[in-house]
Amino acid sequence: MPELDRDAGRLTFKLVYYGPAQGGKTTNLMQLHDLVGAEMKGELMTLETQHDRTLFFDLLPLGFRAPSGLTIRFRLFTVPGQVAHDGTRKAVLSRADGVVFVADSQRTESINNGESFQNLVENLGRVGLDIDRLPLVVQFNKRDLPAILSEDEVRERYAGAPWPLVFATALRGEGVLQTFATLLRGVWQGYAQELELDSTHGLTEETFVAAALGGAA
Amino acid sequence: MSVEPGFDREFVLGELITPRDADEICTQLAAVLGQPVAVLDAAGTVFAGNAPGAGSVQAPLTLELEPVGFLACACDAVALKGAARVVRWGLLSRARFRMVSDLHLEAVRADYAKLQQQNEALRASEAKYRELAEILDAKVKEQVRIIDERQRQLYQAERLASIGQLAAGVAHEINNPLGFVNSNLSTAERYVAQFAALRDMVPAEKWKAADLDFVLEDFAELLADSQQGVARIARIVKDLKGFSSVDQPDVQLADINGQLESLFAVIAGQKPPGVTLTSELSPLPPLMCLSGHLNQAFLNILQNALQAVGESGTVTLRSLATGSHIVVQIDDTGPGIPDEVLPYIFDPFYTTRGVGGGTGLGLTVARDIVLTHGGTITAATRPEGGARVTVELPL
Ligand SMILES: Nc1nc2c(ncn2[C@@H]2O[C@H](COP(=O)(O)OP(=O)(O)O)[C@@H](O)[C@H]2O)c(=O)[nH]1
Ligand SMILES: [Mg+2]
Repeated sequence: MPELDRDAGRLTFKLVYYGPAQGGKTTNLMQLHDLVGAEMKGELMTLETQHDRTLFFDLLPLGFRAPSGLTIRFRLFTVPGQVAHDGTRKAVLSRADGVVFVADSQRTESINNGESFQNLVENLGRVGLDIDRLPLVVQFNKRDLPAILSEDEVRERYAGAPWPLVFATALRGEGVLQTFATLLRGVWQGYAQELELDSTHGLTEETFVAAALGGAA
Repeated sequence: MSVEPGFDREFVLGELITPRDADEICTQLAAVLGQPVAVLDAAGTVFAGNAPGAGSVQAPLTLELEPVGFLACACDAVALKGAARVVRWGLLSRARFRMVSDLHLEAVRADYAKLQQQNEALRASEAKYRELAEILDAKVKEQVRIIDERQRQLYQAERLASIGQLAAGVAHEINNPLGFVNSNLSTAERYVAQFAALRDMVPAEKWKAADLDFVLEDFAELLADSQQGVARIARIVKDLKGFSSVDQPDVQLADINGQLESLFAVIAGQKPPGVTLTSELSPLPPLMCLSGHLNQAFLNILQNALQAVGESGTVTLRSLATGSHIVVQIDDTGPGIPDEVLPYIFDPFYTTRGVGGGTGLGLTVARDIVLTHGGTITAATRPEGGARVTVELPL
């Protein structure tokens, strides 16, 4: 549940980029930092990498002010993908209001994707989040590489799943904004009524997404 | 919103720097900027340094999106902004450190909780297996006991069957000669009467000399005695047959009192003269049972009682019916059962008698038979002395 601080007039969404190690989560945030034109945009904080791998997490803060005066903030986190860091991954995932699952499109990574997704499902359960209600977007990254699953193959594999699929080449910034926008729509749909985003704060789904992306879309 | 503040909470100024350290920074900055410097918190309240005077400017200290505090000083705005960048850099390092250490703590705690859960699960399954092992052990023991019991019952049933066949055979063999002995005795009685009718035809002195009056009288008496003896033999044979119940080997409605009576008749012949047998039988409803087997059980108990009283004493057989059970009690005036023997009295081959005194199976067999009938058997020493064995059979 997003954190609403009435005194400070702030509403904060915690969004988590999850996925196998080296899938492109950090790259997604780096690209977003460059592409998003939101009213408020912080630095990309990368917390301690080891051999070019995220050890703890990355954090990108974004935000804008709603017509009502409420400050809407997004804190985008990445989790460490390495299997060994499950405790950290779980801690980062806790209290999440939305998740992007970044999968690696390369055929050789299919098993890693599967295991990581399984791990996401398990950890959601452990931190008390309901996967059926949590806004979740699946991104298939690295579309520029040669030995990848075709879009049809990916769609076939996810045919039974309810989550939106986005294809991306994060390295070139392709599909990164679309992924984020898709998650924002899910987030708005998931929480707008309860938080009175539309009725009290003057934010329709369209204005919510547009303000967060800052016209970058 | 969360119960414990997470690593991902937003820090306020006080969490990132102590007022003392902030004071120190203000002092250092004042020396550089040439004016007193203050650190304000997010709400604009003085956190450290000197309250800003008139004409002061402010520079935000922003870590993410919004300022956690401000620097305030009556100096050049650009210079203050530069100073703020340095201070922010310090605060950001602290914030990063806090986040990482808090996250680490949270992760460790999560891992620990997971370990504990696994440990708990492990312990639970261990306990379950231990319990299972115990149940299995108990089941095996119970099975062994049942097999033991069945074996004894089988052994007993075979023995009973052979005794029954023997009894039936003997009864048959005896009944035939007994029949013609009985009939011959009746004929002989008639003949004696015919001899008596010849009295007037024999000279009186000769009759007297041969003492034929006495002979005829005694002859009739001898024949009557013999007939009584034959009747008794016939009754014993009949009892023996009834006792072995070879004619009725299946479950049937039986009159327990009737059986106890024929049992008593059989046993009366075995008892020493100094021993008194008494019975106090109350009316009983008929019982569905294996009557031959039950007879064997009662016989074993009675024989045990007889052995206990030795040459003189009393064995009392009692029966009565409660609403749900038939109760049969056998009391003796023997020495009673010592406390240390009591727990083993029904155990197989447990005998207090010398070699040859008994197989040690009598009471065990009795118990097994009673148990197969769903009944109970208990042994005790009566307060007035002597033993009492009580059999209760459900109706
Ligand atoms: N070819 C290609 N490489 C990518 C793409 N996205 C990320 N990478 C590379 O994959 C590696 C891992 O990316 P990173 O964002 O650190 O992955 P993370 O472990 O999920 O954070 C880096 O070398 C990236 O440059 C992509 O779309 N195409
Ligand atoms: Mg990374």
